[in-house]
Amino acid sequence: MKIFIQIILIVCIIGGSSMANTDGKGIFPYRTHVEVLDNGLTIIMIPMSSGGLMTYYSIVRTGSRDEYEAGKTGFAHFFEHMMFRGTKNYPANVYDRMVIEMGANANAYTTDDLTAYHLSFASEDIETVVALESDRFQHLSYEEGPFQTEAGAVYGEYRKNRTNPWEVMTEALRRTAFKTHTYGHTTIGFEADIKVMPTLYEYSKEFFSRYYRPENVVLLLVGDFDTENAMTLIRKYYGGWERGYRPPDVQQEAPQTKERRFNDIYDGRTLPLLVVAYKGRRLDPGDRTMVAGLMLGDLLFGETSDIYRKLVLNEQKVQFISAGFGLNRDPGLWSIYSMVKESKDIQYVIDEIDRTVEHFATTLVSQTDLDKLKRRLKYSFLMNLDTPNKVAGRLARPIAITGGIDVVNELYAMYDSITPEDIQLATQTWLTPQRRTIGTVTGRQQP
Amino acid sequence: MKYSAAKVCTMIIVTATILSACGTQTTDRAVLLAVEDDPTISFRLCFYVGSQCDPEGKEGLAALTATMMSGGATTVRSYEEILEELYPMAASYGFSVDKEMSVLTGRVHIDNLEEYYPLLLDAVLRPGFTDADFNRLKTNMINGIEKSLRYSDDEELAKAALYNFIYEGTPYGYLNAGRLSSLNNITLDDVRDFHRTWFTRDNVVVGLGGSYEPSLLKRLMEDLHTLPESATEPPSPPTPVDINGLELLVVEKQCDATAISFGFPIQVLRGDEDFWALALFNSWFGEHRNSSSHLYQIIREARGMNYGDYSYIEIFPNGGRRQMPAPNNARRQQLFEVWIRPVQHEHRHFVLRAAMRELKNIVDNGMTEEQFNLTKKFLHKYVLQYATTTSDRLGYAIDSKFYGIRGDYIELLRSRISKLTLEQVNDAIRRHIQYENMKIAMVTQDAESLIEAFVTNAPSPVTYSTPIPSEILAEDEEIAVFPLPFYRENIRVVAVDDMFE
Repeated sequence: MKIFIQIILIVCIIGGSSMANTDGKGIFPYRTHVEVLDNGLTIIMIPMSSGGLMTYYSIVRTGSRDEYEAGKTGFAHFFEHMMFRGTKNYPANVYDRMVIEMGANANAYTTDDLTAYHLSFASEDIETVVALESDRFQHLSYEEGPFQTEAGAVYGEYRKNRTNPWEVMTEALRRTAFKTHTYGHTTIGFEADIKVMPTLYEYSKEFFSRYYRPENVVLLLVGDFDTENAMTLIRKYYGGWERGYRPPDVQQEAPQTKERRFNDIYDGRTLPLLVVAYKGRRLDPGDRTMVAGLMLGDLLFGETSDIYRKLVLNEQKVQFISAGFGLNRDPGLWSIYSMVKESKDIQYVIDEIDRTVEHFATTLVSQTDLDKLKRRLKYSFLMNLDTPNKVAGRLARPIAITGGIDVVNELYAMYDSITPEDIQLATQTWLTPQRRTIGTVTGRQQP
Repeated sequence: MKYSAAKVCTMIIVTATILSACGTQTTDRAVLLAVEDDPTISFRLCFYVGSQCDPEGKEGLAALTATMMSGGATTVRSYEEILEELYPMAASYGFSVDKEMSVLTGRVHIDNLEEYYPLLLDAVLRPGFTDADFNRLKTNMINGIEKSLRYSDDEELAKAALYNFIYEGTPYGYLNAGRLSSLNNITLDDVRDFHRTWFTRDNVVVGLGGSYEPSLLKRLMEDLHTLPESATEPPSPPTPVDINGLELLVVEKQCDATAISFGFPIQVLRGDEDFWALALFNSWFGEHRNSSSHLYQIIREARGMNYGDYSYIEIFPNGGRRQMPAPNNARRQQLFEVWIRPVQHEHRHFVLRAAMRELKNIVDNGMTEEQFNLTKKFLHKYVLQYATTTSDRLGYAIDSKFYGIRGDYIELLRSRISKLTLEQVNDAIRRHIQYENMKIAMVTQDAESLIEAFVTNAPSPVTYSTPIPSEILAEDEEIAVFPLPFYRENIRVVAVDDMFE
């Protein structure tokens, strides 16, 4: 496999905005058009044939990471709900009705690093969508009553989540692993903060004013549409959006110096859950050791790893073991998860994880195994780009983290150049006991 | 390396029974969707065997057999070797098992087809059925019911409880994964026998899509022809018992919130004359995971009482995870179902009343012209999103074959909906939807206080900590005393530990 980046930056000035095209010679198979308006709004357009449908993402580069003030955890997600509460031009019922008339699939989600609003619809409705989306991002307006009612729906979402023991684990994990950084809370937020949300009407306006600004938003359009027409509409509807982004005061986490542990209880019953989470590194596709670190999850703990064979297939001590080594704006967690069949085996599973890490820290991985992983990464990416929705969904996070799309080709090019030595160094660098948090969640009543 | 998913009808005809002119092509034995620019190949091998074919006392056998085929060794390779080979392709295959069909779904990049194909076919033709896989996968299935379904997903628990309640005593009347007691009875020989009996060459429909060469279909058909012939007929469609009034099943457990599902069997299947009208009604009443849902507007939007409220006229598995309906759960018996996402315990009576009251309103009064027109407009475009991938479109075409629908289902749905009149929709509602005979499943704690409130029809007023418009509060007063005629003899309480035994 050979991946090479060749991003041709055709920087030209069109009506005061800059525009770039990528020619599709990196891993990413579609031609990409990027433009930045005077007010800082970035637009990424990816035309692809898709039966007359297109997807429109408004990516706000703000998620629960930006909730740096005490008592405001969960606010980015709550605010996402409020974005459906209408404007003076299009009150909520008018907005809803227009979305219904378009037969659009409209929704939104919030994570640690971003909030994304997305619609899939027939391309003929593009102007209506641009008009509606630009309007609510500039002129959101709601009364205190609906604001408070929506807080009730968020609490309902929290309750729904709490019936899942993994949510209990995630909350405890973040709280333990981070002492100062806002990654220390989940996106839904702490229950105490959710309860007081109805009192934060004024703050919600401040939140909107700080973060819902063009410099902090990327539009991502994918599917069957004409890029020139789209840009004309976007300039028309978003051109007057004023700058004013104020970055959050997110405190970086001090380096962790020793292993942390937690044991939490889930109110229902569950097989014991185990997590071993290492502090990772922020996404930087130019950093070999960081990119090699991203590959460790699959290589050390994936379905073809020795530990998977041993614990899942042969000894059958765990229901599963898997790893999530993800992309984050600031150093996040690279975690190994398992559902252990019997509590007595939890320490045994931790020991096996240690043995695996020790092996990769002291022994070079074979070139063959590394090549298999590279091939897997390539096909895993390519096979999930078959609809506009999937393309946009796949790209939203790296775009939110970096503000652009170049990161995709850069990251896959770096994957391709990683050597066994890089893997060894990454294991030694990132997977050390002092960087990790080990946690378990067990049911209140044992099965 | 520029791909686009253009719809290109490069057609392969195996037999002459063509049902559609463009898009998917359906023959006696195959459903084909050639998409020249799709860089992947999609497979769907649909066997007409499902949990309804489980022998008595061996419930779960179909699911375990299929799981062993796709999640275990073959006679050619150990499961470790299979994973090893699939890994660099980032490809996989897996069975989904419903009541009437089990579908092996797989997808691979065209670059890797030659390596992938034998792995997929060996899973069907040469399953290994080893002791180690048997123990591992059976334990996983048991844990899935005993530990996960009972204790960590109350919404799925309430739905499963409702389905079992409605179809009690019929071959649909237990989880696709079986019962805990019967899973323990299944032996490896049962699995081998079941595979021989049901995974046969005349019991399969082949779905093939993407940028495949014509020779692939020929090869696939020839390979599947090495399976034995069928010797068994599937059971008759289930006949659910009549429901008398409101019948309640309370699954009692310690929990933070109450999960509610209710419904009743309907005699309408996809493709039937009234199906299209009911589809329009249902979309308005409760389009899945869409804020256009009327129930959602009443319970979540206006009152903030939960996360969402939806309705269905066809089974919709995995609703918590899927935005659009998954294909290949085709059945000869369907149900009307309402899904209320978890509510605070103190609101459980009120919310059930609110949902039932809306159902009564629509049955008694029908849809208005405005609601009808808006929904018609909505669905005309929205249904395009039901099946956007090659694999999903193949799945829909397989279902169309099951239901005897000619042509592309999504296109047919659009065209039939565009021709509907308000009168037809309201007639269909009156014929098939009702509110008097209903089965209700609730996962909640403190069952006795719930039952006491239900059987005495106690008022269930609610208060809000936030300002609520006066018209909503006025409506709340009506909802709080809306009569739901419950009788103790129609109420059953089951401890969660006794579910799915």
